[in-house]
Amino acid sequence: MLKAMLLKEIILLSRDKQALAALFIMPAIFILLMSLALKDTFSPERVLLTYALVDQDNSAPSRMIRETLQHSKVMAERPVTITSAAQQEELLNGSYHFVLTINEGLARSLASRQELPSALLQVAAAADLKAEMLTLLQAELAKAVLQLRLTLLQTELTALLPEMAHQLTDIDFDGQDLINISFNRMAAEQRPTSTQQSVPSWIIFGMFFVIIPMSTIFINERRQNTLMRMSAMNISIPALFAGKIAPYLVINQLQVWLMIGVGIFVVPLAGGEALTLGHSLIALFMVSLGLSLAAIGTSVLIAVLAGTVEQATTIGGIINILLGAIGGIMVPKFYMPPAMQDLAAISPMSWGLEGFLDIFVRGLGVEAVLTETLALTGFGLGLLMLAGLIFRAQRGRTA
Amino acid sequence: MITISNLVKYYGAHCALDHIDLQVNKGTILGLLGPNGAGKTTLVSILNGLTAFQQGEITIFGLPLANNLEAIRRRSSFIPQALALYDKLTVMENLRFFAAIQKMSAATRRANIDAALTINRLHPLLEQKAGTLSGGQKRRLNIAIGLLNNPEILYFDEPTAGIDPELRNDILETISSFKNQGKTVIYTSHYMPEIEKICDEVAIIDHGRIIRQGTLATMLQEEKGDAAIIELLPAENKLLAPLVAGLDDVELVDGGTLIMHQQNGLKMGRLLALLEAEGLAIKHISYGTTSLETLFIRLTSPGRSHA
Repeated sequence: MLKAMLLKEIILLSRDKQALAALFIMPAIFILLMSLALKDTFSPERVLLTYALVDQDNSAPSRMIRETLQHSKVMAERPVTITSAAQQEELLNGSYHFVLTINEGLARSLASRQELPSALLQVAAAADLKAEMLTLLQAELAKAVLQLRLTLLQTELTALLPEMAHQLTDIDFDGQDLINISFNRMAAEQRPTSTQQSVPSWIIFGMFFVIIPMSTIFINERRQNTLMRMSAMNISIPALFAGKIAPYLVINQLQVWLMIGVGIFVVPLAGGEALTLGHSLIALFMVSLGLSLAAIGTSVLIAVLAGTVEQATTIGGIINILLGAIGGIMVPKFYMPPAMQDLAAISPMSWGLEGFLDIFVRGLGVEAVLTETLALTGFGLGLLMLAGLIFRAQRGRTA
Repeated sequence: MITISNLVKYYGAHCALDHIDLQVNKGTILGLLGPNGAGKTTLVSILNGLTAFQQGEITIFGLPLANNLEAIRRRSSFIPQALALYDKLTVMENLRFFAAIQKMSAATRRANIDAALTINRLHPLLEQKAGTLSGGQKRRLNIAIGLLNNPEILYFDEPTAGIDPELRNDILETISSFKNQGKTVIYTSHYMPEIEKICDEVAIIDHGRIIRQGTLATMLQEEKGDAAIIELLPAENKLLAPLVAGLDDVELVDGGTLIMHQQNGLKMGRLLALLEAEGLAIKHISYGTTSLETLFIRLTSPGRSHA
């Protein structure tokens, strides 16, 4: 009986082009697009600020500042000759984040050890420059000025005490020898990439899209009295629900592995980084089965409650998008303010995502995903039971 | 084969079946006749274990329904009015699916599918998707699905609703043929000619009560009376209602049919003159209870009266 139900559901689904697109093509496209679009966001050495530099002092110190800034890993100078205030404004309205002007008098001020009345360095920043970017810019500039001052100090010391010259080593702010700071960064293979982040997110989003085909088929079955006919053929409610759960468990697993395939094989072809699977396939199965039950439970409940296919697809679509938005699928949770991150905890998509990130990003195993798996399974079974009770009441079966 | 005693079914405060007693013998085609909302579908649903009831006893194949639902369902089949099939599956896929979810051996399944296809002449359409079939072909597939367990009892719920006369005759012939195979058929309808054509027995149900049951001949013999039924050509109900309101012993049913319960020449003459004066044309007049239709109208008219 279950085999027949499974076969029927798969044949019906395979003949529904829209459902296939929602279940397989849509998440695959999202994975590809988002992995590539967010590629730089997850790169540890990406350029965050683009700037132009106007050197009006044209001295050794001003060139030193320029060189120090050019070594920055987060800023990139785009050489341009600025001839007017209007042109500068145009640049800032375009792709430049700021324009740094080194005013005339820098070398003189340093030599005389006297501050000039006007600023030596002048920054014109774009209006939409975020506060954290401004702080970063200030830090980079301070670093360049400090580098300049230390170099000058070192030169003076060497002149005063030539016998000490061999003991004075060059100080490089970009290195880690200024002070002994221990950086415990994740190994390169453990660092999250956009692919590692995107694949789990859009797998989950795609899995929950079973709401659309399942509710469509279920409501049509109810409308055409096919469900009633099956009841008259001794198919009980648990058997009927099992006939829904089994095919969509298989379909969800197909989605998971196809999307993983996209992450491993297709994303690199398009220039993104390949997905790596982590260390525990069992944990991956656990989370994906839990997610599947949660998605199926939600789908069956919506199918039972909705009166028409239009209602089910609208309600299902909205719920899917809301759960995704809250649960960190569309915007990663670490971008959210703390209150929103707390809110994310109510979304089963968030539980699933945490489970997948434990596996794909943090390299953890079964123990780490146990809580998320149990929560998802409990959620799914709870909704299925609720749907069963409502369905039973709807059919007026008390005997 | 089917015995119903004192069956009561309520939907909330509404009494859908009111102390029903009914006996159906093996090999009988019983027509369950009643106006819309009379309780026909509720009764068939209960017999198939699809709807619970509050009071009464039902035995089918000598087994109490309440404790033997699964066994009874294996030997009976319900063919609903709606086309309960999958439009996106082919004819064969539909039959295979509905056969596979019922308990039977693979060999029996194959044989029953073949028999259902033959009876309904569906062999040429095996690979065609149900959604692309004509209305009549879909009806035949709907019936074929109901034959997959080779049932001893078949419940048809208005199987000819909304189909053309040619196809209706075709389906009625198919259903009649089940009698030759020793099957029992419960056939619900409000089309009197169909019931007259294929049923051995008729039960007229109205307002949840069986108001008459028996063979058609006996029923007509017993119910022969003095009523006259005057069918009018389409007329506006609002014209007729005030006209009939002023007449003694004349009742308006279904908007275009008048019943004179105790007809005599004088009363009839007056009525005909009045109708002529109002420009209302007569389609047909029948005296006494000569057909199931007139009997049905006479028996069920009080509840449907517009006068």
